[in-house]
Amino acid sequence: MKPALILAALLSFAVPAIAHHSFSAEFDINKPVKVTGKLSSMRWSNPHAWIYIDVETDGKIVTWAFETATANALFRRGWRKEDLEPGTVVTAEGWHARNGTPTANTSSITLPDGRRLFAGAAPNEGGPPR
Amino acid sequence: MMIRLFLAAVLAASIPAVDLAAQAPAAAPAGPVRRTPDGKPDLNGFFQADAGGANYGLEKHPAVDLTPPGRGVIIDPPDGKLPIQAWAKAEQASRDRPERGYDDPTAHCFVAGVPRSMYVPAPFHILQTSDAVVFLHERMAWRTVALNRREHLPDTMRLWQGDSIGRWEGDTLVVETRNFNGKNWLNEVGEVVSHAEQVVERFTPVNADRITYQATVTDLNVYTRPWTIEMPLNRQPGEMLEVACLEDNQDLQHLKDVRDEYRRQNK
Repeated sequence: MKPALILAALLSFAVPAIAHHSFSAEFDINKPVKVTGKLSSMRWSNPHAWIYIDVETDGKIVTWAFETATANALFRRGWRKEDLEPGTVVTAEGWHARNGTPTANTSSITLPDGRRLFAGAAPNEGGPPR
Repeated sequence: MMIRLFLAAVLAASIPAVDLAAQAPAAAPAGPVRRTPDGKPDLNGFFQADAGGANYGLEKHPAVDLTPPGRGVIIDPPDGKLPIQAWAKAEQASRDRPERGYDDPTAHCFVAGVPRSMYVPAPFHILQTSDAVVFLHERMAWRTVALNRREHLPDTMRLWQGDSIGRWEGDTLVVETRNFNGKNWLNEVGEVVSHAEQVVERFTPVNADRITYQATVTDLNVYTRPWTIEMPLNRQPGEMLEVACLEDNQDLQHLKDVRDEYRRQNK
């Protein structure tokens, strides 16, 4: 199958994610976050999947939790559990949670080779605007 | 693995920067509809609404903070505005504040009610028999539309999804729903309905893979007149997956933190 056909097939299979709560209520658009660290784990869970990243700050490791779309949405977009191995260095961007914990809603995940993997929900899927 | 990563990256890159939610749905060519052996339209299958951001506001609206835009799905009144009473507009504005995010029933994984169940960003499966049409929503909710019953449940019985009775008018399935408990929000920005809500939905297939969905909401506790929304329901590939919403609902604690902090600062 040609790449264009694969892409078309994937797009046609892209069933939107589930947003089950207000992103604006939980996350602050005025507090963008960008961290780089080692992926420590990923929870393939609903209503949202979570990516955990160990970030070294001032000699201490802080584990950041980045919220993504639902596990179902990631599955339908072609992601699989084995695609992101623990220890992979990633850069994650998003918006900080209003409660001040090291938690964020994800806008993108960038792999070591520069590829950016979309992890949040698209605007038409219930995610924040981009 | 790498192929999948590549495809995921390609897919990610292909998501346009424009606000898809604000765009009108693609036109659907009229065509033959699927039919059951008794000649009725066959609505069976896996669908999702092209909801145009209705879960973030039924009226046309731009993105605000992290709340996505919406194209506006109200077809009556003709101006696309909800004929909302002043007290309900004030309540909606209150619900739209961060400290009220915790109060949205769907943040607690409760079912979304009607018509919201049809336009939350999640697919659903329609099962149709001669006696009933059943909506199985991926968010682990369901609704049975009785086709073999004419009387609604007693008025004292109040339900999240209401009590639905349907009938065929030509090729349109008409569903009347009442007996709501009044606890639902119409979307994440808190548009309002009460226990007096009554909904008439019309499901009209326009071809084998698309249904035109209309819902007329009458709730004179909240609105000055009935209003109607419209959106297409498009057949989807694949099948429903599990959503164990209560299993890992970490957002709820975050939303509660925001509410509690607001209360501490505003004693």
